[in-house]
Amino acid sequence: MNTGLEKQRNILDYGLMSLWRRKTKNLSVLLVFALVIFLMSSFQFLTGALTDVAQQSLRLAPEITVQKMVAGRQEQIPISYGDKLQEIFGIRRVEPRVWGYHFSTTTGGNITMLGVSSFDPRLETALLHGRLPSGSSAGEVVLGQGVVRDLDLKGRRKFSFFRPELTQKTFTVTGEFKPESELLTADLMVMSIADSRDFFHISETYATDLLVTVANPAEIETIARKIAELLPDTRVVTRPQILKTYNAVFGWRSGFGSVCLLTGLAAFIILAWDKASGMTPEEKREIGILKLLGWQTSDVLAVRFYESFAVSFLALLLGCTLGYVHIAFFDGALFRPVMFGWSVITPHLHLVPVVRFGDVLLVICFTVLPYLAVTIIPAWRAASVPPDSAMR
Amino acid sequence: MMISIQNVYKTYNQGLTNEVAALRDINLDVQRNEVICLKGPSGSGKSTLLSIIGCVFPPTSGAAQVAGKKLSRLPDRFLTIHRREYIGFIFQQFNLLPQLTVLDNVMLPLMVFGYPPEIRCEKAVALLERLGVEHRRHFVVSQISGGELQRVAIARALINDPPIILADEPTAHLDQKLSERFLSFMEEFKQEGKTIVMTSHDPLVVEHPCVDRVVEMMDGRTRSSCS
Repeated sequence: MNTGLEKQRNILDYGLMSLWRRKTKNLSVLLVFALVIFLMSSFQFLTGALTDVAQQSLRLAPEITVQKMVAGRQEQIPISYGDKLQEIFGIRRVEPRVWGYHFSTTTGGNITMLGVSSFDPRLETALLHGRLPSGSSAGEVVLGQGVVRDLDLKGRRKFSFFRPELTQKTFTVTGEFKPESELLTADLMVMSIADSRDFFHISETYATDLLVTVANPAEIETIARKIAELLPDTRVVTRPQILKTYNAVFGWRSGFGSVCLLTGLAAFIILAWDKASGMTPEEKREIGILKLLGWQTSDVLAVRFYESFAVSFLALLLGCTLGYVHIAFFDGALFRPVMFGWSVITPHLHLVPVVRFGDVLLVICFTVLPYLAVTIIPAWRAASVPPDSAMR
Repeated sequence: MMISIQNVYKTYNQGLTNEVAALRDINLDVQRNEVICLKGPSGSGKSTLLSIIGCVFPPTSGAAQVAGKKLSRLPDRFLTIHRREYIGFIFQQFNLLPQLTVLDNVMLPLMVFGYPPEIRCEKAVALLERLGVEHRRHFVVSQISGGELQRVAIARALINDPPIILADEPTAHLDQKLSERFLSFMEEFKQEGKTIVMTSHDPLVVEHPCVDRVVEMMDGRTRSSCS
């Protein structure tokens, strides 16, 4: 057998033997390390899962939304703006949309009531059961799961809301959105535009915003720019921009959470430096003896590396597995308040963790690499001095 | 010549306020198969000289040659390689790793030679048998007696079959019977052609027939005399 390889095997044997000799200390470091990795990986996997859900849900979102702005605030947009938009080459369809909020006294959050002039047939696929509302003003609605929980209909299909001027409007439930789409639909009540106009008292010459469908999705940004030039008093929002906003919001929340975790991470690094750096007088003496017996500095460092690598690899495996389980089976229960902290009906999403190589690499960079450094550097220092000084 | 030390000086903490001149103008030649004893009071420089011969560190100045290799200005990496091939150390405190078994301690030097476990084990067991401690091979060293510890330390020093054995105050913690046993082992090793350098002020060692020469040391200087 190759002598170099056999030597490395012997050093690995010695490293594992050494780990076993200090099993109590190493086990405690492993558990704390795994906890830190679990917290960090949970954040990363949760962010990935939410971004993924957003991406899936936004497939059905309008390609371009046009809203009228007055003094920096959104106002109702005249339907006539839609006629102007038809002049732009590449726009296939312009549809008005009327929406608003209804305050829910049960949850203290707002229900979003959304009325559209036609329903994309693909929207059927987002339904858990039932059908989309008809286009009439019969009061037919499809509810998000958050609204279903909020209304607590217990099998009834009809319910009533007070209009702003305190007259009642009755609605009939024709379907429910799937729980998987809760990120976008939890607080949503979808109806025909006629019902929405009726509820909010918005005239037929106005809408809340205009939805633009383009012929070529690759041209979304170009057409959005053209709309902004044609209608300078409007705000033009594209689907990719909404997705970016979601990513930024989750990224920001995840980043905020991670920054809070850094305190814990710093405490762990200090613990690792103190406990795992292995530089007790006995361990310095051990390095001195090994060097006197002919072990090179690199051999001593290899022992340390194998020890630290074994601990950090096991902690990474354990921490990431726990992080995955936390998202997959407990829906990220620990971090839901941080990630879902908006003041509307909170979504009850069932999340599927998304493990990206970049996320795992980030966790490794913030945990495994500092750990390797704080354990190997002191050993390198001790092994670099003449062995007799380590033994005095 | 197995060991040649010419005009060697060793100064610790050179240039600092706590500078100590441990060796001053040392000259010492040791022939192959010779046994010498460095004798002198504590602080006379015996252990420092032993460390230079043992390639633990190079001298501050002067020429030191061990087994044909000039040690002066040799980088640590090459000193280590030379040490593991030519030197076997026996320490006053034995310096065994207390949580390892007797067998693991003896096999330690062989690990970095790249021997597979079965060969390491075979060599170690053979030596432990020869030194009469084979029955203790699976004991953790903290569980065995002082005399056995010393024999384990000897086995570890010999496991690479080095031509030079260095022993620092080897009988300091042994009673007379165990000291005599140790010296009888040294006598055996001398007959096998080993070169042995010991430090001691124990009369039993200094006056033992296997010792060819006693080198007296005082304040970092040497004064040779025949045994």
